[in-house]
Amino acid sequence: MHFLGMDDEDKSSDNEQSKPDKMFTLKRWNSVAMWSWDCSTDTCAICRVQVMDACLRCQAESKKDATNKDVTCVVCWGECNHSFHHCCISLWVKQSNRCPLCQQEWSIQRLSS
Amino acid sequence: MSLRPQRIVFDDVWGCLRQTVEKVLKLNSVRRDDWNSSFTDVYSICVAFPDPLADRLYSETKLFLENHVKSQLDEFNCYMNDMNDSESGENQLLHKYYSAWKNYSQGLEYLNYLYLYLNQQHIKKQKVSEAEILYGNGTTPLTISQEQMEIGELGLDIWRLLMIQNLGDILVKQILQGIERDRVDNCLTSKDIATIHGVIHSFVMVQDYKKKGNLQLYESLFEGKMLEASGNYFTSQASKLLQNCSVSQYMQEVIRILEEENVRAHKFFHISSIQKLKKECEDRMITDHKNFLYSECKEMVSNDKRDDLRNLYVLLKPIVDGLKELIQILLEQIKNEGAESIMNLKGENIHIQFVENMLQVHQKYENLIVETFKNDPLFLSALDKACASVINSKLSDGKTTCRSAELVAKYCDNLLKKSKSTECEIETKLSKSITIFKYIEDKDVYQKFYSRMLAKRLIHDQSVNMELEEVMINKLKQACGYEFTNKLHRMYTDIGISMDLNNKFNQHLKNVNDELSINLAIKVLQAGAWPLGPQTNITFAVPQEFEQPIRKFEAFYNTSFSGRKLSWLHHLCAGELKVSLAKKSYLITMQTYQMAMLLLFENCDTMICKEVREVLQLNNDNFQKHLQSLVDQKLLLIDTEKIEDSSVLSLNLEFTNKRTKFKITASMQKESPQQEIEQTITQVDEDRKLYLQAAIVRIMKARKVLKHNALIQEILSQSKVCFAPSIPMIKKCIESLIDKQYIERTANSSDEYSYVA
Ligand SMILES: [Zn+2]
Ligand SMILES: [Zn+2]
Ligand SMILES: [Zn+2]
Repeated sequence: MHFLGMDDEDKSSDNEQSKPDKMFTLKRWNSVAMWSWDCSTDTCAICRVQVMDACLRCQAESKKDATNKDVTCVVCWGECNHSFHHCCISLWVKQSNRCPLCQQEWSIQRLSS
Repeated sequence: MSLRPQRIVFDDVWGCLRQTVEKVLKLNSVRRDDWNSSFTDVYSICVAFPDPLADRLYSETKLFLENHVKSQLDEFNCYMNDMNDSESGENQLLHKYYSAWKNYSQGLEYLNYLYLYLNQQHIKKQKVSEAEILYGNGTTPLTISQEQMEIGELGLDIWRLLMIQNLGDILVKQILQGIERDRVDNCLTSKDIATIHGVIHSFVMVQDYKKKGNLQLYESLFEGKMLEASGNYFTSQASKLLQNCSVSQYMQEVIRILEEENVRAHKFFHISSIQKLKKECEDRMITDHKNFLYSECKEMVSNDKRDDLRNLYVLLKPIVDGLKELIQILLEQIKNEGAESIMNLKGENIHIQFVENMLQVHQKYENLIVETFKNDPLFLSALDKACASVINSKLSDGKTTCRSAELVAKYCDNLLKKSKSTECEIETKLSKSITIFKYIEDKDVYQKFYSRMLAKRLIHDQSVNMELEEVMINKLKQACGYEFTNKLHRMYTDIGISMDLNNKFNQHLKNVNDELSINLAIKVLQAGAWPLGPQTNITFAVPQEFEQPIRKFEAFYNTSFSGRKLSWLHHLCAGELKVSLAKKSYLITMQTYQMAMLLLFENCDTMICKEVREVLQLNNDNFQKHLQSLVDQKLLLIDTEKIEDSSVLSLNLEFTNKRTKFKITASMQKESPQQEIEQTITQVDEDRKLYLQAAIVRIMKARKVLKHNALIQEILSQSKVCFAPSIPMIKKCIESLIDKQYIERTANSSDEYSYVA
């Protein structure tokens, strides 16, 4: 992953004599992508923290459970396609089994990995 | 000899016993037979029939001892009469008294043993029955007119009453004269010293048998006067010294006197007086002249006069509040020197100057405190206070907010980016930067700057060394805890995970017998951890050449993870484009947008600007800045001076460059530093709110119910490591948690909260 690396070999080493058929050839591309949960909103409507971050309760406990925080606080999608921290929606449905955003009956579609 | 009680004639028995008693007291030799029979005499008197005669023996012995001491006292009278005549006369009295005391106390010890039976059977028993009376168990109410003592104790008491009571004042006066001579010309013989020591200690020893108040005579008769006389001596010494000494000399003299007095105290006095004498000396020579000592304090500090400062510390340390002023002066000095060292910094390297100048001041004074002030915690905390005050104060222009956090972060960035130093040197400097970092109040501001700079290093592969990146993150974690470095650490891990992903992707391609047209390296960053700001208004129509690798990677990625989506940050991508012209080929490193622009000229020689922009769907800002860099490089030619929609672009087929491999560095970041700083600061506020909310939830979960003020205090103490939150911000966070039903007000009190599980 050397951005300035000039030392790597050409994949298809041209010889200088023959005229190249293309004027521009893409040799190397260092690209950057960002991943996020495939959610319609960035923030969890229950704790109002970004879904990419751990939920408020998990952040509060981070001091005790430092390393596997990301593993424990996953995102949960309902059949209605709304998504929340799994921690947050699990507590929510104990009070009312409806999606806080659309009031449909809550059932889990999938969890993030 | 018979142990059975017998009828005896007291006067006869006592007559014999008395002779032995007299010999014992005079330390004359006593024949073993005589000793043994006298021992028995004591016994037979105590158990005499029909009535024990112990009380009579006691009072006869007491009378004898009194007479003995009185006759000794009479012998001294001649020395007392001519005591004003000559010095030798005075000394004579001390010597005579001392030798009489030595003999008497020695004889008394033997005598006490001779009266063993009386002491143990009669006097101890009597003490027991006394106790019985006190507690009401006794059957025979017995009134004891006068308490009886063991014979040894009785003898000491008689000495005190008859000898010391009469002679004490004269003895003390002469002792003090002796000590005065010892102070002034140090001319006492070892015999004089032994005598003075002995006489002084006789005041202790006559009461030594007492469990309580055994120093009472010593203190009332001697110690008070000794301290008074010493005090006068110290006062006069001090005023003599003050007349012709500098502060420096005066301190040396006082230290010398303190040492001498310590030796003197050990030489003459009871151990309990040592501290008192020291205190007297300090009071008269230091406390009374505190202002004199302080008068040059400032100058000593600013001229780094370590010997003087060391002496000053030694002298002022035992004085109540003595160091206060010195500490205050030192604190001011550090503040001034620190502020001066970072004032008016100019040039490219302000961050380096800032950290290194500040470190220099810190080290200088830390070293001073170790060497001169015995690493005294009071001084160290003054150093901390001063450094924190300098580092957190606004820079000289007064308008801008404190830049320390930014400068220290930049200092680290510089170290981790430029590779001139060795790994070891870099690590040392990073560690030192932590020293300064710790003084920053708004550590979260530092964290924001640091994470932006770290993001750039990682994305653009500018780090000297990934191990050092981790080392530094761990140092910050050590200083501020896990939460502080959580995101930094996630960024660091993303790079490792990405490397892994690339390998797996390449392996996957091999497995399915596929190949990419280009050499691809992808970094996949997790949203939220990276301080990259919103990516929403960045548009770009990805050229075909990039499409294929992107699709293949996305397909691969979606089989590896579920529920994730990828978005491509093309403005952060770069690559190598081979440009083959008639004369030469070039390998040029450039950004994705630039590559996309050039690729448009593969099949045509000229294009209108507007066309280029629309094909690529770039916003005007990005379009302008990347096109400009290609024009500047003369890779593209333009027919107008400025880039306009109607300008005609053409590929420069005559392009030449001496180097075949080079890099086009189009302004990588257009954001001006000032903008970046402002963005950073607004972001800090958002993060603080989240941090505070998490802290409140954590505290309330642990405590269940808490009063408002107690909660505020806890929050303040927990957030101290990162920043100092404002009370209104804390209140807002509490309200928002009540809204979200994490906590609620308790029913019975308006200023009390409880945790909602
Ligand atoms: Zn949530
Ligand atoms: Zn959670
Ligand atoms: Zn829903």
